[in-house]
Amino acid sequence: MSANPVVGTSRAAALEARAYRSVGLSRLREFIERESVFSWLILTPPLLFLLAFLGYPFFYGVYLSFFHREVAGSPSFVGLGNFVTLANDPIFWQSVGNTIKFTAAATLLKATGGLGMALVMNQNFRMKAITRALLLLPFIVPTVLSTVAWQWIFDPGMGLFNRLLVESGLAKTGPSWLGNPTMAMISIIMVNTWRGLPFFGISILAGLQTIPVELHESATIDGASTWGRFRYVTLPSLLPVIFIVTTFSIILTFFDFQLVYVLTGGGPANSTHLMATYAYSLSVGVGQMGLGSAVALSMVPVLGLLLVLLTFYVRKD
Amino acid sequence: MAKSTKSKPSRRDFLKLAAGAAGTVGAPWIARNAQAKPTTIVFARESSYVKNFDEHFQKVMIPAYQKATGIKIDYQIQAAGGSAVPQLVSMVENKSGADLAWVQQEWLYRDALVDVSDIAEAVGKEQGGWYDEIKSLSVDNGKWKSVPQANIGQCMVYRKDWFDEAGIKSFPETWDEFLEAGIKLKAKGHPYGMSMGHGFADNYSWLYPLLWSYGVTVMDKAGKKVALDTSETAKAVDYVRRLYKEACIEDCIGWLDPHNNKAFLTSQISCTNNAYSIMVSAKRDLPEMGKVIDHGLNPKGPNGQRYHSLVPVTHGVFAYGPDPQAAKDFLKWTMDPKQFRPWIASGDMYFAPYLHAFDKVPEWDIEPRVKPYHKVLETGKLTSWPAPANRAHGTVINRWVVIDMFSKACLGAPTKTVIAEAVAQLKQIYG
Repeated sequence: MSANPVVGTSRAAALEARAYRSVGLSRLREFIERESVFSWLILTPPLLFLLAFLGYPFFYGVYLSFFHREVAGSPSFVGLGNFVTLANDPIFWQSVGNTIKFTAAATLLKATGGLGMALVMNQNFRMKAITRALLLLPFIVPTVLSTVAWQWIFDPGMGLFNRLLVESGLAKTGPSWLGNPTMAMISIIMVNTWRGLPFFGISILAGLQTIPVELHESATIDGASTWGRFRYVTLPSLLPVIFIVTTFSIILTFFDFQLVYVLTGGGPANSTHLMATYAYSLSVGVGQMGLGSAVALSMVPVLGLLLVLLTFYVRKD
Repeated sequence: MAKSTKSKPSRRDFLKLAAGAAGTVGAPWIARNAQAKPTTIVFARESSYVKNFDEHFQKVMIPAYQKATGIKIDYQIQAAGGSAVPQLVSMVENKSGADLAWVQQEWLYRDALVDVSDIAEAVGKEQGGWYDEIKSLSVDNGKWKSVPQANIGQCMVYRKDWFDEAGIKSFPETWDEFLEAGIKLKAKGHPYGMSMGHGFADNYSWLYPLLWSYGVTVMDKAGKKVALDTSETAKAVDYVRRLYKEACIEDCIGWLDPHNNKAFLTSQISCTNNAYSIMVSAKRDLPEMGKVIDHGLNPKGPNGQRYHSLVPVTHGVFAYGPDPQAAKDFLKWTMDPKQFRPWIASGDMYFAPYLHAFDKVPEWDIEPRVKPYHKVLETGKLTSWPAPANRAHGTVINRWVVIDMFSKACLGAPTKTVIAEAVAQLKQIYG
């Protein structure tokens, strides 16, 4: 006991306060460490981020699609009017057809090409690491930049492709890569495939490396050929990876914008207009925010269906 | 309880002190903001192909304005090639960004611009009067919503050496002669490259004048009735199909605005329609080619007339800015002949003012090969002509209705079908 009663009292109070504080802190820690609380704490920042940068524009887009709304103008409610206008718009239907063709062809090429790339990359060869890193380049270079380079590659006279064709004597003059509607579609599919291939390749390679060697060994002992091992061991083990990567790729390809915007602007004569470029041209070019949002929103059902499929698949696992 | 805190400042004392301190610190800020003059004005413009033009503005005009008024001009240069309009639309939508700008496609957001009639009318009076056609763009409901700065001329750019080689001594006077010459040049491996893709200048600048010279306009004067559905349109479409097949490089049907510059500078084409930026680039980087480039006017059509398409540069002040009057004062200052004349001169007439005072200035004589661009103002029309330049017209432009009518025909669609499709779209747009 302290000689000075005042000092003694205050020290006791301080000790008491500290005890309370430590009890409080440990309770707080206990609360935070509860799994249900901790997981929400971790989830909150990304959720807020998603709400602000994805949720808000999305719901604003949904809202806009029901209005006739011009740039800097006030909105007037038109219900499903914008969708009715689109249903009677031949360019809209052309862009839907183009988007489906583009997505289907590019995804198929990326999936098969990516599988091939992964199988090759899984072999042992010299400078494997650097080759793998270099293969990622198309994915790393900003799309606009690489697309400008492709513009040069497709150039009718100076471009790499036509120079190769002419110099090698295979053709007198090369094709018009971006001037002919069919070739223009092929060209944009080609560039999208080139850019998306590494995503498939690297993801499938990661999947390949998780397949236990024992499975291959026992299949070999059982007399399986190389094709048999690929068909009955490698492919089934890879299917989950291929499924998820393909779904993601379909979504990304479906919404592709930059590539077409830079390479063809949707031309010639709308033959490469995708839904994303058409939505942009209506909103920003024409200034019809409502109509443009309606085009963008028309893409959502496809995305929704894919998300449902993906969710079911993941849950089944 | 002992009042040991008596000597300490009370809560009220603290508040008094804090208020005093805030007052002392904040007074200059309040005083500064109470003044009408802002310290900075943001001016957004697409970058110029003629570098000297932007440099003159930055190195001479900005310091001069700051010296005279104390106001700093923040010059935001937007990348050329179609990205300025999205930026402007986004600025208007968010009510932020620049105080004044080169208001491209101003029909999209005229409501967001302040009335600048006082400036435009005074400038017109002082500098010889405005060319009439530009009023269809800048004047809306009797009020000037922008002050026209200049026109970027679009003409035929051609390789004089190759034309000479093919025995074509002067640039063709009519579209038929133009086709004839093109056939000869293509046979010699020098096709034309006439842009027909989803660009915003080099496609419109020859296809619209061609249509007009066949006596056709897209809409009537009031902008109410579709005027495209005529037999003359069919003749124009048939002509373009022939020109494309017999005289042009195949690729040009999909070209955006930079593509013809690139093809010309790499000697792939003998003629295209463009601003004189191709010659500027060639003189700088390819001096040999720079010597053999020349310019010609758009040929005359069956109606005996020739036309050109205007590419206007107009400046507008945004109504939502913190101080539109300050931005207007600056705009007025730029149009004062003391500033305006040297500014225009610095661009070697690449930007040609819509003012008659500039009709005979000696700057037109510096480069004789630029002279055809002088004539563009006399025969130049807006793409909306003769209808008003409004949102509906903007929709036609941004959906490439007329351009695609021609390009589809070139790709093999029947003339009747492409015209019917274009007319249907026009009726839907103009409702």
